[in-house]
Amino acid sequence: MGAFTHLHVASAFSGHYGVTRPELLVEAAAAQGATALAITDRDGLYGAVKHIGACLKVGIDPIVGVDLAVHNTEGSPMGRCIVLAHGHDGGLGWSALCAIVSAAHRKGKKNTSIGIEELARLAIRDGVALVTVLLGVESDFAASVLSESRTEAMAKLLCWRKALWATASLGVEIASHITEPGTQGCITQANRMLQLAESMGVPTVLTNAVRYLEPDDALTADVLDSARHLEPLGMFQPQPNAQAWLKPTVMMQALAVEITQDSGQAQALIKRTEQLADRCRIDPPNDCGWAKPKTPEKSTLGIEGNPFEVLWQRANQAIDWRYPRASESQLTTVRHRLSQELITINRLGFATYFLTVADVAQMIRDMKIRIAARGSGAGSLTNYLLGISGVDPIEHDLLFERFLSVERTSLPDIDIDVESARRHDIYRAIFKRYGSSRVTLLSMQSTYRGRGAMRDSGLALGLDDEQIDDIAKNMWRFSARSFRNAIGSKPELSALAEAIEEDRRLNLMVDITERLDRLPRHISMHPCGVILGDSSLLGLTPVEPSGLGLPMSQFDKDDMDPMGMLKLDVLGVRMQSAMAYAVRERERVFGERIELDDIAKDDIETFRAIRTTNTLGIFQIESPGQRELTGKHQPTEFNDLTIQISLFRPGPMKGNMIAPYLDGRHGFATPEYIHPDLEPILRETYGVVIFHEHVLRILHVMTGCSLARADEFRRNLEHPRLAPEVERFFRAKAVERGYNQDVIDKVWDILAGFGSFGFCKAHGAAFALPTYQSAWLKTHYPTEFIAGLLTHDPGMYPRRLLLTEARRLGVKVLPIDVNHSTDEYLVEASHTTSNTNSPGVRMALTEVQGISDGEVASIVAEQPFASVADFYLRAKPSRRTLERLALVGALDGLAGTDSHTRGDIIVRVRELNTIVKRPNVDPNQPMLDFDIIERIPTGHAQLSADERVAHELAILKMDVTEHVLDKYREMLDEMGVVRSDELVSMRSKTEVLVAGVRVATQTPPMRSGKRVVFITLDDGSGCSDSTFFDDAQQRCSHVLFNTRLMIIAGKTRRTGVRGVSLMAENAWDIKELWNAWLKQKGERLAAIA
Amino acid sequence: MVRVDEKVTVAVDKNGSPIGFAWRDCNYLVSDTPVRWFARREWWVEAARVQRGIGSGILEVEMWRLMAADNVAKRKHQYELVHFTLENAWRLVRVYD
Repeated sequence: MGAFTHLHVASAFSGHYGVTRPELLVEAAAAQGATALAITDRDGLYGAVKHIGACLKVGIDPIVGVDLAVHNTEGSPMGRCIVLAHGHDGGLGWSALCAIVSAAHRKGKKNTSIGIEELARLAIRDGVALVTVLLGVESDFAASVLSESRTEAMAKLLCWRKALWATASLGVEIASHITEPGTQGCITQANRMLQLAESMGVPTVLTNAVRYLEPDDALTADVLDSARHLEPLGMFQPQPNAQAWLKPTVMMQALAVEITQDSGQAQALIKRTEQLADRCRIDPPNDCGWAKPKTPEKSTLGIEGNPFEVLWQRANQAIDWRYPRASESQLTTVRHRLSQELITINRLGFATYFLTVADVAQMIRDMKIRIAARGSGAGSLTNYLLGISGVDPIEHDLLFERFLSVERTSLPDIDIDVESARRHDIYRAIFKRYGSSRVTLLSMQSTYRGRGAMRDSGLALGLDDEQIDDIAKNMWRFSARSFRNAIGSKPELSALAEAIEEDRRLNLMVDITERLDRLPRHISMHPCGVILGDSSLLGLTPVEPSGLGLPMSQFDKDDMDPMGMLKLDVLGVRMQSAMAYAVRERERVFGERIELDDIAKDDIETFRAIRTTNTLGIFQIESPGQRELTGKHQPTEFNDLTIQISLFRPGPMKGNMIAPYLDGRHGFATPEYIHPDLEPILRETYGVVIFHEHVLRILHVMTGCSLARADEFRRNLEHPRLAPEVERFFRAKAVERGYNQDVIDKVWDILAGFGSFGFCKAHGAAFALPTYQSAWLKTHYPTEFIAGLLTHDPGMYPRRLLLTEARRLGVKVLPIDVNHSTDEYLVEASHTTSNTNSPGVRMALTEVQGISDGEVASIVAEQPFASVADFYLRAKPSRRTLERLALVGALDGLAGTDSHTRGDIIVRVRELNTIVKRPNVDPNQPMLDFDIIERIPTGHAQLSADERVAHELAILKMDVTEHVLDKYREMLDEMGVVRSDELVSMRSKTEVLVAGVRVATQTPPMRSGKRVVFITLDDGSGCSDSTFFDDAQQRCSHVLFNTRLMIIAGKTRRTGVRGVSLMAENAWDIKELWNAWLKQKGERLAAIA
Repeated sequence: MVRVDEKVTVAVDKNGSPIGFAWRDCNYLVSDTPVRWFARREWWVEAARVQRGIGSGILEVEMWRLMAADNVAKRKHQYELVHFTLENAWRLVRVYD
């Protein structure tokens, strides 16, 4: 007798139910000798593609099904069933399964269930069953068997059989977890189900209703149950025992005997199971279009004839547009490169794919939305000519082969960046253009990571929220899988380390957190993925509603390539929105049109501004680390930006590429090119191999292999198993081509060490474009740019820091004013009559905490207002909003601040707020009390700067009037704290104190593996960056991650021409020092008196 | 039915099925094929650690319902034993009249 086939297996992709990833289940089944394995996730095919892929890898047959709830015609539940797709039927079974799953999701996440009639209609076509529905212990039939009502049970089963009448469309699943006699899942229940089904002629099969791979995993299942029930363990009915594992054949045979009490019957049951398994074995290419590329039909794209000819024509026609001033020899280069690319595209049959992406790109441009390419796609001239990418690959020396080659047949990724604020408009337009039968959104499985895993573990154990929050706050940059290790080694967790000694539950929490790590947690919409296919798409992937209301595939990005599906990444980039906004504001206020995509890329002013390291708000180079690198690097041209962006990545940082590059650039070291042949390749980076493109060219030059082949070698270099083969090839060919042994050894050392450290230059260049554009805007249109940043918030820093930067740039930030502020940060040409040409940025109403969208809309609609009372009557703000607006001075303009103080206005507003019912405005009825006599009292005290800032921080979360640190100035001066803008002129290793508001905390990966913490403080004059190594971290662990206002003591460390950072020694909470200082000051004063 | 919770010493056959047990200075002989099932324990109340690989014994117990007669009065009763597989300890939990 052969091995047993499991037909009911939930994987970890059954959210909060299954425990084991499909790949592990498949490997284990193969090891048990199985020739097939099913995956039947709850409510969807979430793990199906990974399951099929894993089965193909180990050489067993995949079986795919789903575990679904069913309801009857009245809508009453009929319990759950398993639906298994039949295979080897040209995809009929697979597409029926997809349709069934999609139908079950039609009513939303909470009500996932399918009506029995619809299930039957989709399950049976022309009298032939396309799927088999199995009734197991969770069906209504099994429930009545347990209640020992034979007639009721027979009636239930009859009901199913009436609907699912076709041969093989219905079966009964005999499964027992050997629970206490008389309870669900007991042997007796299984036996009765078997006898009843047999008596009614419904076939039976054996399963183990698997939830996890091994008995040990049952503990994890308990915790997932808790997360699903949202109740701590002990507060709900837990699983009965730990029997739901992938039992091996002998145990399943023994179980069959235990259930049937008859070896003949047991054998027959297992035989029927194998027969059903055979019917359900999937043939991936023919059943689910495995690996066959699918693109929209030609007619959908509006093209006729051969797609390749269309592509060829379009690309060639665009040469004039992209290269209007090119010389004949340049044009020859362009044409030659283009034909090479097109030949490859044609050989791979991807013409339609490129036309599709070009079509989408054109549609986005027609919507007047900014668009830019990202990733290796920028290396393609075809993409540049089709308008998909804005980076000229010839000018920037980018390689097509890194993007696409005949050596790889998977669909390439073309990712496009668009304005984030318009992303959903684009999705809707794509659905409209291609039709909802060809488009779905991509989904994403979020997985348990550190804090999330810890939170759900805490919940399961009934820890209180406060305790959980406390621990979560200190979880920084380590994998939850090694939680216990981290507790032993990280200073900020030392309190927890002590606590787990005392508290058993905390100790358990650590173990559970480790168990949950990396398990899928829930499915959500992918932030940027859209799947485009032909009209068969919905027969290949199940869909469910997304938060956006548009259908979303149950497959994730890793499933796209195996399924041959075209995924388009349309990523919303806030910076694109911010830049588009700046351009629009310039045109709105000053009538000046800026063509951002056409600006010259060698503007001296722009690079000068970048070199000051005041890069806040500039795309990609505003982080503390990038600012430091900017100081050292001092970029002077566009390619420098490409290099700098590429260098500041985990790979190049770990690969130690930065220092040698900078040394070469600044002449501290002579670049080593090893061989004259390599000099042209590596000149731009002073002999340092940084880019994937470098590796491709070196292999190409030294071995004579094609660039396409070279890219395959580059990929293989990352695999320890494949690298030796690359080495053999490289050495043999290089010798053949006459390179001496010394050169070969040196170059190979570099290539071998390169591993996964490098970066794709095309990607860097694609990023450098918005970097340059944003720097250019910041340099020449700072007011508009700041308005864009504040409206679309693209950066990593808190918004209050943008205000600091605005002040530094001399951009006027105009306070919220109910007559001028809207839901955006508007540019105002001149805000005072005296100063005619001084634009400013008007703060948006949306900054007021707690203001509703409705309130903002009604203020904007009713503007302008004549008085405080007028505002009160027509804008109809809530009491809280009205008072908050008054406190931050938004009503100052209505009262005339010449005659009234902010204090007067607040008193008036509080008066208005005591009115029980707001009178309605009647245009025919003069409102004496309100309109004519604006009774604002006088004589109340003006608010002090301190009070204003306190209100601003409370209500706007920003300090508008003055910097939050100014309050502590006296103490800081007494302590001798230096300002950040003074640091640049200090000698190295000077001991200093800096103060400020924390704006960023980073723990980047380090070559040594040790953790380093970077803290950036803003003190109004700029930002200071401090580095905390191990011992400093120990010293101030209590303020390291949680304190907002801090003073840091350390030594200055010069890192370049304009680069200074602080080697931190200690840090304190300003507020604590302040209280101590005030006390001391009081004592001193008392002593004098 | 009487609930008890007392430690017993159990003799098992090669399949792990009880054939006899000793309780309160008395020996009992199993007279029929016992019924076995699996029940659970509340590890979150009793366990100190639940790290990966600790095994299902911390969650699961074996239950045995069996007919047995004591060697003195020779009276047959139904008994329920629980087998803590993790600790390999047995307890008598129920006696049926």
